[in-house]
Amino acid sequence: MARLTNPDLELFERGILVRLSNVDAGYGPATVLMGIDFEARAGEVALVTGPAAAGKTTLMHLLRLALQPRSGRALILGVDVARSSARARAEAKRRIGYVAENPVFVEHWSAFENIALPLRMMGRRARDYAGDVRELVEFVGIAEAADLPIERLSNAERRRAAIARALAGKPHLILADDPTAGMSPADGRRVVRLLAEMRRVGAGVIIASQDEDLADAAPMERWRIERGRLTPAPAPAHAPEATE
Amino acid sequence: MKNALSGMERALFWTLVFATFAAAAAGLAARAVDRLAVAYETQRGSYAIVQVLAPEDPAAMAAAQAALMQAPHVTAASVMTSERAAQVLRQWGGEPVNPADIPALRLIEIELSPESANTDIAGDLTAWLAQSGITADVVTAPQGAAGGGVSRAVRTAALLGAVAFALVMALIVSLAARGLAARRRELVTVMCDLGATRSQAAGRVADEAAVLGLYAGLTGGVLAGAVAFVVLLLAIPGASVETLAAMILPIDYAPIVAAPLGAAIAAGAGARAAAGYFHGQAARLG
Repeated sequence: MARLTNPDLELFERGILVRLSNVDAGYGPATVLMGIDFEARAGEVALVTGPAAAGKTTLMHLLRLALQPRSGRALILGVDVARSSARARAEAKRRIGYVAENPVFVEHWSAFENIALPLRMMGRRARDYAGDVRELVEFVGIAEAADLPIERLSNAERRRAAIARALAGKPHLILADDPTAGMSPADGRRVVRLLAEMRRVGAGVIIASQDEDLADAAPMERWRIERGRLTPAPAPAHAPEATE
Repeated sequence: MKNALSGMERALFWTLVFATFAAAAAGLAARAVDRLAVAYETQRGSYAIVQVLAPEDPAAMAAAQAALMQAPHVTAASVMTSERAAQVLRQWGGEPVNPADIPALRLIEIELSPESANTDIAGDLTAWLAQSGITADVVTAPQGAAGGGVSRAVRTAALLGAVAFALVMALIVSLAARGLAARRRELVTVMCDLGATRSQAAGRVADEAAVLGLYAGLTGGVLAGAVAFVVLLLAIPGASVETLAAMILPIDYAPIVAAPLGAAIAAGAGARAAAGYFHGQAARLG
């Protein structure tokens, strides 16, 4: 096979999933993110914390290729976001698992069908993916609710279903925007550990949350975002090692 | 798919059935008008009247009738009696006419074969009768501006009317299918979030709408066909299921066949356009 010559793809091949260099981004006239420098690697977990309206969700939109940078350079999964075609961005998007703050589902479908959607979009047949999806719903702890219409699930169950859907396509990059909102501290930590487990299969995981204590749940890189500016946060003495 | 025809989808399905029923019925009506016009034209063109001018004796009428029976393109020839003339006058004028009041007309009614349409039948018959020593004038159905060609205008108007009506119905089907796309908006949004391109997301919804349109068009087309069959059965005196079935030509099925195909295309196109728009909205942040 011919060796890849595109330097952006080579970066991705070396395990650098995300590299943001001096990126500004926003909506309409408002610039929300300013001068963002950020890097995420395969097999690592990053936690981005900050107060409400600091820009966490906007950062997530940028990382999930739903928002274009206004300036600077955003390389995500080997794709230069500002210069790539819609098709290339869509292709990269399929390799990203995203857990939204308020996950959107096809409400009259069952949780199982919603979780299987990324696999259906890949062209896999139901009999081929059924076992994998069953494993996933058990992994996130909603096995008993899997066949119910998703509109009948509780918020916590919907969030777990969103995690399962994000993991279904075996993504290279997993993004979770406030995945523990509305959960008890114990449930929240369990969800974060569950997401962090995905680093073991080589995925990069980025979690955005207001809860700084989540850093204790699993080894992870810590970042702090305030008023649209992202900076590395020092790890507390008792925190688990990020490279563990 | 689960709940494929629940609630709004069921309403949409019957909207599409109604639209395709109306379009197919208009097409079938246009076909009926077309066939009536053709039948009228054929009937009109296959009739002529011969006026025997000389000799003036009664034997000349019998000789002329006998000669006409042998003439090319003539399938029947009969001397117009006073009773027949009175009947014709009554048909045209509406007033009862006493046959005894009608003088000897020296007219012979003739029926012509369809092949005669492309010949100078009046000249041919005049020459044919002259060979038997009979001088006659042949009056055929007028052509062109004198009344001929009306059926062609009627046929064109029926065809264009049916096509225009079908296009309006296709527009209605297309707009109704946008409702399905609106109902699938969350699916389009989710697919967009999961990395589906515009064509993938819109294609998924368009396929569903096209299948719905196909089934609705099939239902509407078959219903229109059944209704048309019953109407013809009632409208044509003495018609039976067998005679009516024998009258139907393959081209008469065209509106019924076109209904599902047209509905599928129109529904698919409408849903695709709407779903593409929703995908664009879902993909556009900032």
